[in-house]
Amino acid sequence: MPNRTAVHPELYSPDYADNPSLSGGKCRACGYAFFPPQRYGCESCGAPPEKLEAVQLAGRGTLHSYATVHLHMGKDIEAPFTIGLIVLDDGPAIRSTLTNRTDAGLAIGDRMKSVLVAAGTDQEGNEMVELRFARAEASK
Amino acid sequence: MKKKLRDMRPVYVVGIGLHRYQRLSETPYVTLGLTAVREALADAALEWRSVESAYTGTALIGMAASRPMLRHLGATGIPMAQVENASASGSTAFRQACIDVASGLTDVSLALGVDKPGPVAMAPGKTRMRDLVGSRVVPFTHFALLTQEYMTRYGVSAQQIAQVAVKNNRNGANNPYAQRQKAVTLEEVMAGPAISGSLTRLQCCPVGEGAAAVIVASDDAIGQLGIDRNRAVRVIASVTRTEQVYRGAKNFDAELTRETVQQAFDEAGIGPGDLDLMELHDAFTIEELLYVEAMGLCAPGKAAGAIAAGEFDIGGRCAVSASGGLLAMGHPIGPTGAGQIAEITRQLRGEAGVRQQPNAKTGLAHMVGVGAVCVAHVLRKGA
Repeated sequence: MPNRTAVHPELYSPDYADNPSLSGGKCRACGYAFFPPQRYGCESCGAPPEKLEAVQLAGRGTLHSYATVHLHMGKDIEAPFTIGLIVLDDGPAIRSTLTNRTDAGLAIGDRMKSVLVAAGTDQEGNEMVELRFARAEASK
Repeated sequence: MKKKLRDMRPVYVVGIGLHRYQRLSETPYVTLGLTAVREALADAALEWRSVESAYTGTALIGMAASRPMLRHLGATGIPMAQVENASASGSTAFRQACIDVASGLTDVSLALGVDKPGPVAMAPGKTRMRDLVGSRVVPFTHFALLTQEYMTRYGVSAQQIAQVAVKNNRNGANNPYAQRQKAVTLEEVMAGPAISGSLTRLQCCPVGEGAAAVIVASDDAIGQLGIDRNRAVRVIASVTRTEQVYRGAKNFDAELTRETVQQAFDEAGIGPGDLDLMELHDAFTIEELLYVEAMGLCAPGKAAGAIAAGEFDIGGRCAVSASGGLLAMGHPIGPTGAGQIAEITRQLRGEAGVRQQPNAKTGLAHMVGVGAVCVAHVLRKGA
């Protein structure tokens, strides 16, 4: 029986029903939280890999900026689509594709939340899902 | 004890040469590079055999680019190496040439930038650290995000930001080495095509091919080789830095520029008000506003007003990108930073013709590159 798979399995689980977490990292030496995860060493304090731990970052944050891309050469998505720069409540600033194709109605300061959207099927017929962000509530 | 460039032997730019920046053509990179070097040698009235080391700033051509070009000037056996530092490759090649002369390793050194567009392997893409957006965010979208943030924070319009392209294309229209040599109106800039966010095509620099060469020399060489001392321009600061961790969504491009240029000002013993001109990394219109503010030329959020008032025009208090900048002169990658040095040298000599910034005495060259890296040089008239 086909399963769900994530487009970026190292960055989020495909099994969430709603508002998925992001797979990030944290330095036990200095507390620095980061995304995407890595096991090379802490960029903030230089602590070695054994000081880095995997942490789940809540899929909630605030929209810091956005841009609708009108020209795109890649084949995985068709323009226009909109990219958001989001500061997660858990610290890191990340860039994500937004669920809306255009920036209509968006405002810097909007509260944002992660969602999984359908992204076709892979070669084995598994349903693929991709993490994007959507507006949760307008800025106050 | 550590020394600044200024504490070492004085270094002077004595020769500059370029091959026009242009769209990708059939011209071999060898021809591009040799054209620039021969023009720089003629400008300095030097023979190739006087050059004692050579650095080639290049990011796109491939391994071992120097000798296949430079052997055609006569193979003198001098040390040669390629310098790759993303968009700042030419700036970093220039810094290496300056360090050779300043340290006393050489009396005459060459920095050459040359590139042709082509497929390139980007090391940051090989770290096995994927993010959520991958190739959906290319540089123009990175800067479109910064544009939207800036417009919202300071209440500045897309038209006010696009004005940078009008100014820099006006300058480029008078530069025979520029890729874009046509003045444009604000309406033409805004008409599109739209690229990303509010950025339109003319607010994004063209990446083509070209070459720029700079010859630097010591006092000894100027005396012994009969170089015209009146046309020599001194390099009084050379600084390069890389990005640190800036918490949250702080704009790392601006922060890195702030740190690097401040250190260059300190080493040169000047402040932002002492600059008569600068060439800055205006790959996208928003960058000019962000960087002049980060450098302290105007307060945060005030750059658009300063541009509208003509403060950064040729003839204004500090001419910004009199060459046309990356937006109009173009950004062929390897040559760009060396080409900035050529423009500032031409201006400080008073040889820039219709582009001349009146009474130019002190100039800054500023480049940033993927990484992120930043390179700043301060040049001053007079030997």
